[in-house]
Amino acid sequence: MHAAIYGRVFSNLLAFRKALPRRTEIILGALGFVLFLSVWHIFAASGTIRPEFLPKPISVAQAFVRLFTERDFATDIVISVGRVWFAFFLSVIVAIPLGLIMSTYRSVGAVLEPFIDFIRYLPVPALVPLLVIWFGVGEASKIAVLWTGTFFQLILLVADDTKRVPVEYIESGHTLGATNGQIMRHIIIPAALPSMVDNLRITLGWCWTYLIVAEIVAANSGIGHVIWSLRRFVKTPEVMAGIVAIGIIGLLTDQAFRYAHARLFSYLRR
Amino acid sequence: MDNFIEISDITKTYWSDDGKTETKVILPLSMAIAEGEMVMFLGPSGCGKTTLMRIVGGLETQDQGSIRLRGELLAGPDRRRGMVFQSYSSFPWLTVRNNIKFGTRYRTDISRQEKEEITDHYMNMVGLVRYGDFYTNRISGGMRQRVAIARTLASSPDVLLMDEPFGALDAQTREHLQFQLMDINKSEKKTTIFVTHDVEEAILLANRIIIFSSRPARVVKEIDVDAVISAEDRRNGTADVAAFMTMRGDILTLIRAEYAHNLEET
Ligand SMILES: Nc1ncnc2c1ncn2[C@@H]1O[C@H](COP(=O)(O)OP(=O)(O)O)[C@@H](O)[C@H]1O
Ligand SMILES: [Mg+2]
Repeated sequence: MHAAIYGRVFSNLLAFRKALPRRTEIILGALGFVLFLSVWHIFAASGTIRPEFLPKPISVAQAFVRLFTERDFATDIVISVGRVWFAFFLSVIVAIPLGLIMSTYRSVGAVLEPFIDFIRYLPVPALVPLLVIWFGVGEASKIAVLWTGTFFQLILLVADDTKRVPVEYIESGHTLGATNGQIMRHIIIPAALPSMVDNLRITLGWCWTYLIVAEIVAANSGIGHVIWSLRRFVKTPEVMAGIVAIGIIGLLTDQAFRYAHARLFSYLRR
Repeated sequence: MDNFIEISDITKTYWSDDGKTETKVILPLSMAIAEGEMVMFLGPSGCGKTTLMRIVGGLETQDQGSIRLRGELLAGPDRRRGMVFQSYSSFPWLTVRNNIKFGTRYRTDISRQEKEEITDHYMNMVGLVRYGDFYTNRISGGMRQRVAIARTLASSPDVLLMDEPFGALDAQTREHLQFQLMDINKSEKKTTIFVTHDVEEAILLANRIIIFSSRPARVVKEIDVDAVISAEDRRNGTADVAAFMTMRGDILTLIRAEYAHNLEET
């Protein structure tokens, strides 16, 4: 009797390319975390690795709390989030119109694409010294780093999203009497919007990578600065707690985007 | 015959991307289509039917020749020629009703109120009243094509261009839509060019069938279907079976000959 039930659950888990119930997915996801933490704990507790290198998970959790109680970590988080969102916003408001124009007028695309592709392949950290020379060590240079890191990626993604709008949609627009501007506003933008929002979500994630680079190099506030300055005192639990904080913020933002996407574009569900 | 649409000496050649090989798709070709007429373009696949229709719709430019509508020279697409594509072209971000209403969006000849009424009219005509609030992702392929047809009709084009609109549908749905189109045609009398490679579909729907040669497209034969089997009989299923089968056989023989010709060339 029990064996039969276990057997069924087990065979369901290994069903070839089949969906699992939502609850099973969540349980399995949590299990992955627990497994990771257990292995980590066992290693750290065994004493084979010194705690300065690998503290126990519980020490990291305690350090996480200390960051908020003993230092003003909440403020650093607000500052970092603010930098990311502000730079990202500046990136988006330029990249979306330019991306739309690039994919609409082949001549503009032909001029900009090779140049953007070139910049896109430059490693952003390598640009930091230059941006610091140009913008100083204040806020401007950090925003510039984030902007440079996301803008050139985003513009090509937006151009791609718009190019993928089926030609039948656009031709339908023409034969229904729409002008080019109306086709852009009433057809191309709504058609490309779901994949654009998805790409915004992905680029916002990259923004965090560049933020930490920017804050490590030149800053006296923000998550990256906190992590980097604690490193000097070999406060490994705090350093790890800082990294975990970035992970949590990233995860939450990502989930918020996914939720908004599912709500906004519910018509895509089958 | 009055020349509602006048196609004069159209030619079209496509060039390969390296510009070395040319594909002559249409050699000087002329024809006239009367107002209210339903003309079926029939011919071996790849012969240039779509290309010719797209030139009429202004979505493709001819190398030479001209297209006139009511004597007026046409260039580029506009609301006078509505297009129904083979692939589903209804907009996924709009509901069925709003898709159909989109057809009236750029009309300046009618009031806001009339736009609503026209939308209701065509929702009703294609039998989608119950699905008005559905997004097009949730309806079947046949329904999506009905949305596309209703949307195009709502824009009130002078000419309806349909490029194998039922090509992607299963046999039953296709037959249902063919009969629905016959009904629409009876009440609207819309001048229509309809591309198909389905001989029975052509006989069922046409006033006139134009059979094309293999590429480059040339008119091989025109058949005045109305003169042989009345539209009424076809609609009611009371057509003389022998006449229908004879016509079907003749057309198939012609098309097979064109295919064979095509094979010899390649
Ligand atoms: N944009 C294009 N570029 C190059 N060749 C094309 C293009 N469109 C169509 N053709 C060629 O023109 C010929 C006629 O195509 P088409 O009009 O689609 O045929 P049909 O609709 O009769 O099947 C085909 O050989 C096709 O490969
Ligand atoms: Mg075709």
